[in-house]
Amino acid sequence: MKTEKLEFDVIVVGAGMAGSTAAAIAAREGLKVAVIERGQKPGAKNYFGGALYTHALVDIYPDFFDRQPPLERPVTETGFWFLSNDGVVKATVQGGLVDNDPVDAFVALRSEFDLWWSEQAAAEGAFIIPKTLVTDFLFEDGRVNGVKTDRPQGDLYAPVVIICEGVNNLLTQKLGLIDHDVKINATALAVKQLISLPAKDINARLGLPDSNHGMAISVMGDVSMGLSGLGFLYTANSALSLGVGVTLDALQESGLKPYELLQRYLEHPVIAPLIKDGQMMEYGAHLIPEGGWTTMPRLYTDGVLVAGDAASMVNALHWEGTNMAITAGKQAGLAAVEAHKKGDFSAKTLSVYQDRLSELFVLKDLKQYRKMSAFLKNHPNFMDIYPTFLNDALGMFFTGFGKPKGDLYKKIFRSLTSRRPLLKAVGDLVALGRAVIGI
Amino acid sequence: MDKNKQVQKREVPKVFVDDMLMSLKYFTDEQEPHLAIIDPEVCIACKDQPCIDFCPVGAYRAQDGRTVQIAVQSCVECGTCRVLCPYLNISWKNPRGGFGVAYKFG
Repeated sequence: MKTEKLEFDVIVVGAGMAGSTAAAIAAREGLKVAVIERGQKPGAKNYFGGALYTHALVDIYPDFFDRQPPLERPVTETGFWFLSNDGVVKATVQGGLVDNDPVDAFVALRSEFDLWWSEQAAAEGAFIIPKTLVTDFLFEDGRVNGVKTDRPQGDLYAPVVIICEGVNNLLTQKLGLIDHDVKINATALAVKQLISLPAKDINARLGLPDSNHGMAISVMGDVSMGLSGLGFLYTANSALSLGVGVTLDALQESGLKPYELLQRYLEHPVIAPLIKDGQMMEYGAHLIPEGGWTTMPRLYTDGVLVAGDAASMVNALHWEGTNMAITAGKQAGLAAVEAHKKGDFSAKTLSVYQDRLSELFVLKDLKQYRKMSAFLKNHPNFMDIYPTFLNDALGMFFTGFGKPKGDLYKKIFRSLTSRRPLLKAVGDLVALGRAVIGI
Repeated sequence: MDKNKQVQKREVPKVFVDDMLMSLKYFTDEQEPHLAIIDPEVCIACKDQPCIDFCPVGAYRAQDGRTVQIAVQSCVECGTCRVLCPYLNISWKNPRGGFGVAYKFG
């Protein structure tokens, strides 16, 4: 039996944020696009905190909000909670610059959202092919010209393949675009529980006026057991998303079980009342490629582009990842369109992808923050000492009634220096500044 | 502040991981396990067997004290074991298309 060669203009590997975006952009320009997704459906393998960022969503679909996207609550309050072992200092912002219409971030659940996001790409003309695993590449004259899949007669051909395979970037490695596997000192394991609660309880417990208000909180301190790591809290419509992420090498050294670390967070005296009588709806785990610039593969080669988690596009400090994936997906789609216009799919033509990302926040920020993951690793005290100190300092300040205030300030000062010598504390601050500014 | 109580470190609670797994949906591939231990002898000789602790779904368990076995069907494909095994003794690939974990919410 003679089988027809399955040919496309563009093949996208993975229907996550980057993949479905790249596909939509290329299909919109009239290209024949296939998106190959290994899950039962797009979103089945995807797991995050987490929030999506409006700027990226409306950049792809200006009428995004008219399309009735499956979003959870808008983020109307956001910031840090610093936990001591039995208390919290909250530094969150609401109203003011955060009070935009639409707001800048929305909580979402990826299984539902990613399916919907892929349907928008399908509406642009892309073919979504789920339940199919890309196992290898096809080559002609040493250049990639398609992919092998685990389907019978599953070879698919295209002059451009956009790899959006996620954090476990085995295909990217196979192609030699990066010479190492996921780095354990630059990758976090995040575990999360989605806990169902009546919306009115969420509102009452978190002080939200109604269900059209929500939170995205980064939680530091007595969360990560002194390891380089963070907790988080996001409000879905009628569920709370609570999780902990720690870098892999720290996890290994600690010998802790991730789900026990998570349970410890959930039992914290500040967190436990928030989820009382809640029902666990889902537990899950996912890696986060926090290395950014330091673990980034080559972003293009002849006939190939890489975007999203597969390309280490995460800014851990700003919780950016999905927006980088969307923006990079768009630029990858545009680069594929340009290559088709020229009829040239060489690395030289596709390098426009990296040029564009270098002008945008994606590569600008990742380059600037290239020292951040090393900083966090070398200063785990940021996760431990300072949150506790903040609790002590504010706790002392607001209970120092009827006592000489000179003693009070000495006590506050000692609460810092007993944990971290002053010079070291100043050094920590300078190091943080350098990691943020990127010098 | 006269709260001179001792700062107590909070303990790490014990969790029965199977209680977590009950919330997950899987399409189990009965024919082709996507994980395998490359050389079982290496695991037997491995002092700490950290996989038993670091796997977020507790898929690695020691039988008879030393022999490590994988409950492949509970894997959520995070990738941790592939890179944290001190002897890189785990053969890790993605499940075949359509199989493995299927997050209901994400």
